[in-house]
Amino acid sequence: MRKHAIRYIAVLAALTLLSSVFAGCGKTSGGTEAEKPITIGVLVPLSGSEAYYGNDMLQSYKLACDEINAAGGVLGRKLALYEADDGCDPNMATQAASKIIAKGVDFVVGGYGSGATIPTLQLFYDEDLLMLVSCANSTDITKLGLNQTFMINSPGTHAVITLTELCKSLGTKKVALIHQGDAYTKNLSDICEKELPKSDIAIAKVQVMEKNTPDVSAIVTAIRNSGADFVYWCGYHADGSNVIKQLRRGGYQGNIAVGDGSASVELISACGSDGEGVYVTSPPFVEFAQGGEKFVADYKAKFNMAPGTYATLCYDTIYLLKEAIEQAGTTETASVRDAVQGAAYQGLSGMIKFTPEREPAVSNFIILQIKDGKFDLVTL
Amino acid sequence: MVFALSKWEVLLQQGVNGLILGSFYALVALGYSMVYGIIKLLNFAHGDIYMTGAFVCLSVFGVLSGVLPGWAGIACSIVAAMIFSAVLGWLAQRFAYRPLLGAPRLSLLITAIGVSLVIYNTVMAITNSQPLFFTSGLDNAAGIKIGGITVTYIQLILLSVAACVMIGLTLFIGSTRTGKAMRAIALDQDTCRLMGINVNKVIGLTFLLGSALAALAGGLACVYYGNVQYNMGYTIGIKAFTAAVIGGIGSIPGAMLGGLLLGLLEAVGTQLLDSSWKDVFAFGLLILILILRPNGLLGKSEIERM
Repeated sequence: MRKHAIRYIAVLAALTLLSSVFAGCGKTSGGTEAEKPITIGVLVPLSGSEAYYGNDMLQSYKLACDEINAAGGVLGRKLALYEADDGCDPNMATQAASKIIAKGVDFVVGGYGSGATIPTLQLFYDEDLLMLVSCANSTDITKLGLNQTFMINSPGTHAVITLTELCKSLGTKKVALIHQGDAYTKNLSDICEKELPKSDIAIAKVQVMEKNTPDVSAIVTAIRNSGADFVYWCGYHADGSNVIKQLRRGGYQGNIAVGDGSASVELISACGSDGEGVYVTSPPFVEFAQGGEKFVADYKAKFNMAPGTYATLCYDTIYLLKEAIEQAGTTETASVRDAVQGAAYQGLSGMIKFTPEREPAVSNFIILQIKDGKFDLVTL
Repeated sequence: MVFALSKWEVLLQQGVNGLILGSFYALVALGYSMVYGIIKLLNFAHGDIYMTGAFVCLSVFGVLSGVLPGWAGIACSIVAAMIFSAVLGWLAQRFAYRPLLGAPRLSLLITAIGVSLVIYNTVMAITNSQPLFFTSGLDNAAGIKIGGITVTYIQLILLSVAACVMIGLTLFIGSTRTGKAMRAIALDQDTCRLMGINVNKVIGLTFLLGSALAALAGGLACVYYGNVQYNMGYTIGIKAFTAAVIGGIGSIPGAMLGGLLLGLLEAVGTQLLDSSWKDVFAFGLLILILILRPNGLLGKSEIERM
């Protein structure tokens, strides 16, 4: 057994040596720097349960690259994508990252699920590769403290910033929160409970609606009794419609808002007339973006399908990178990194700027309101 | 705008809320109790029969809504759901439970779990785990307001339907020949056979009735709450079973009492403590009741092997 193991290790070592030799060849041969395309590694799930989102991300990157190439490229060089399937799985993701690194790319974009994205970040850092994380939005990403990793998508905490603005503009005094007891919705509720009082908005009541227990009438009565004039539903749309209907049925007349777990058109049909006037703190749906119509039309023409939830974020990622490279005047990681850190790019998903911790400085959540059976963009 | 209610209004409103919730528990608990009373089976598939009823109600209403809108369509859909689920319950009884009536009690129990999983997973596969939504176009919020207390028309209909069914069932069991046969079988199956009672037929009828009641609850839940999902029968199944035990399993008035009591306790618990503590409050009190009355509130004490 041991002999076999040694033999395997020897073969592996030999292969690794060989591959590094070939990789070295790839870097030196093949024309001058200026003619070579700028290669961008794309880490997305292309198989498994999240393949739909990964494919949508890849297509959005492609759309942006094709537009830029048609307009003459960046610094006179074309952009080329090199995608690797992370399967939204930590193990597959590290393999995909190794593939991208072996290809000798200049930059990396992508990252759908935080769980799969996080293990790859150290690998990219060690290779001195800039990584722009388009979708994954756990703050654990920036907690690693890797100075070449930037988060494009707003973390969940940003929903509360947007919610606070909405509450202030409505003159809200007391907010009641309802969550579903699981990690995601409880966390959102906890952040609200901590942050809203800082803006002089009191928390009237925090309630839990367990999943699959449809009756919330007792919660509704307790909320009415607490004198809340604003209810924020932190849960998902399947139960959310039920909560909204019972709030209205139970005589609650104040404002109602729901979190991004409920940002779905299904919410509207499920609520019927009771849904009118309900606010949603929502991810940046492309339908409501300025210049969004053109993007949707181009996307549909190219890929024969509608863009998904994260399409604008990915599209913006490529343009942000382009701007940064142009500003740096080189593809050298350190210079481009500094350019990204100092960027203020107005994209389809909103203003993209970064905090010193490399998180988004501006919330990209938007506020929608159900009006006449449709989502309507609310500008405060 | 004033939203707050006075103390008494809050208590009364929570009472109404508890009664509605309790009616659902009671309707489902009746089926548990009837089946247990007659063949000593904890029919775990009962919650899934409730869920099936909700789905059939939603589907039939979807087809009917063009022809029969509003209450007529809803009534027809619920009746269709009751018929479908009654047949489903009867089939489960005929092909899964009846062959095992003579087998050890544990085999029957495991079969019931099997039937439950079969129904649950079938619906999950058909609906692709997605929730479906019921929209009737009726004004849900319309109702009577007394002071700050709101009772909607849908709630009134729900309460009266539940009350009528419970009274009807009590009369049926208490004063018809079939009802008498059911009670007799609960006491002694073998003697009933000797006396010329068609035991299998009466057991089948019990399943038909129990399943129809669960589907009635499911259909009403579909109309009242508006969303239907493959796993909606799980929690109510457990709570209704609890209600049946609290009331005294095998006792029809006990199942109703247990259901209403559990609903009220949950509503009051939400008000007094917090929604996250409501089950702790309700079930804590229920444990206390069982310690004081191990056979449930209206249960008879008899020596029983499980």
